[in-house]
Amino acid sequence: MLTLSDLVVSFGGNKVLNGISCTINEGETVGIIGPNGCGKTTLFNCISGLVANTSGTIALRGVEIQALEPHERARRGLGRVFQNFGIFREMTLLENVLLALESNTSVISGFLPWSKKTKGLSNEALSYLEQVGLAAKANEKAASLSGGQMRLLEIIRTLALGSDMFLLDEPTAGVSPRMKEDVASLIKKLQGLKKTVLIIEHDITFIQKFCSRVIVLNEGVIVLDDTPEKVRADSRLKEIYFGSDAA
Amino acid sequence: MSSLFEILTSDYGIHLAILIGIYLILSQSLNLTFGLGQLFNLAHIASYAIGAYATALLSTETEASFAVCIVASVALSGLFAITLGGIALRLANDYFSIGTLAFSAVVSALLINWKSVTHGVLGIAGIPRPVLGVTDFYQNGWFLILLLVFVVIVQAIFYVLMRGRFGRTLRALAEYEQAAATLGKNTSMIRNFAFLFSSAAAGLAGSFFAYYLNYIDPSSFSLQEMIFVLTIVIVGRPGSFFGVIGATIFLVLLPEPLRFIDLPSAYLGPLRQLLHAALLFGVVWWKRDTLFPTQRKV
Ligand SMILES: Nc1ncnc2c1ncn2[C@@H]1O[C@H](COP(=O)(O)OP(=O)(O)OP(=O)(O)O)[C@@H](O)[C@H]1O
Ligand SMILES: [Mg+2]
Repeated sequence: MLTLSDLVVSFGGNKVLNGISCTINEGETVGIIGPNGCGKTTLFNCISGLVANTSGTIALRGVEIQALEPHERARRGLGRVFQNFGIFREMTLLENVLLALESNTSVISGFLPWSKKTKGLSNEALSYLEQVGLAAKANEKAASLSGGQMRLLEIIRTLALGSDMFLLDEPTAGVSPRMKEDVASLIKKLQGLKKTVLIIEHDITFIQKFCSRVIVLNEGVIVLDDTPEKVRADSRLKEIYFGSDAA
Repeated sequence: MSSLFEILTSDYGIHLAILIGIYLILSQSLNLTFGLGQLFNLAHIASYAIGAYATALLSTETEASFAVCIVASVALSGLFAITLGGIALRLANDYFSIGTLAFSAVVSALLINWKSVTHGVLGIAGIPRPVLGVTDFYQNGWFLILLLVFVVIVQAIFYVLMRGRFGRTLRALAEYEQAAATLGKNTSMIRNFAFLFSSAAAGLAGSFFAYYLNYIDPSSFSLQEMIFVLTIVIVGRPGSFFGVIGATIFLVLLPEPLRFIDLPSAYLGPLRQLLHAALLFGVVWWKRDTLFPTQRKV
């Protein structure tokens, strides 16, 4: 599904990603962990096209996409959920989902705010909101939501976009313990829909619920790439998080 | 009551209504880019000037018809937006406004110095009023009606643009461009279109301005004018369709009572500018937390 080959990203001589190579298979759910500032978000930014890679290639279903604009990558099925919340707070929940649905229609369809097409899209958007129990708040500003609800909205919005590969950047950060369950069941739903999912998380126990594979990133390189059990047992994990003395 | 009706239908009332009509086109179109899109576009008056000069030159030098002048003004201002957008939209935030300011400085310099075409500071006189078939619009009352037809059409177009999917996308870009891009939005295309629509409408306003005054010179397209239109959008609340309509009427009429005070006319202009500046400062101060929200980034 997604193949990264020797990906390098540097910011002014500082190599944040230093030769990342891996393949994510279709329908797989893969966790990505690593200490703060090791380049996890940068990896997602690079895959979705928000930062350019210095060298290396990114192939989606065998087609190289590293030269494409972010919106072109999105239209090829790459969906992104941001660590710092990518929802539009100043807009209603309905508008947030509408924006995604409209990306899949021609520019002129639904151009008139009162057209039948727009009505149809609004109903469709509402049905997405129902799936995460947010339909009652459809016309409220997204800024009024709790952290957990914002995550749910952003994930369901990405589903409405029709993405088949989801890049989730710390989907449980800023989410109350109770709401974490809702986020988890939504991710399970994505799995049920045979979506390919990459999840950045600090909480390896949370990741274990979904992932058969975990990639450990440190200082811009992949240190480990294995099952969660084996990664947990590996001494290198402790070394990365607690320094070599603790190992 | 009858006195209000008398004012409205007097020459003075019609004059004010025409000014309001022209500014309604000018301010609502700036509201799309600056208001909804949070693009600090300082070249709007340059677009207005291009529209005005296109109509002035075509109608005086070639006796081109109303339709030709209108279309030429709109098209040239649109072309200006495409050029400007192609260059300035590559610049980020603050540099973008400086880029648009530079473009408007170029236009100002051309208006003043390219004397063989624009007649420099002397301006262009003798612009005839439009003639449509057997109807001419030399009487201001009829000119107002012609203008109002265009005002209504332009407001309707901008209403659809702002309230529909186009405006929604533009708002998304203003709030978090990168998130909009990963939702499949072609961010630079959307902005270029916003610029195109906005500038083309300003060109139309310019055309009517030239037709109305019969005479234009560079002083009508100064930075002062840019500040006035910005003030309208800020007072009306950036992005608010009806707010900007209300603010246009309010701000065009605001300095009018000054006329009835016994004041030397040399003070009138500066006093009006002072009034606008004070109002602009007041609103910006009052709304400083929400007026220019910063873009979120990854
Ligand atoms: N646009 C940028 N320009 C310069 N440096 C950057 C940029 N983006 C990220 N960095 C740097 O790259 C490094 C990796 O950042 P990144 O956000 O990818 O880390 P992360 O693994 O996601 O961390 P966290 O767990 O805190 O989210 C950091 O040192 C950061 O300062
Ligand atoms: Mg991060």
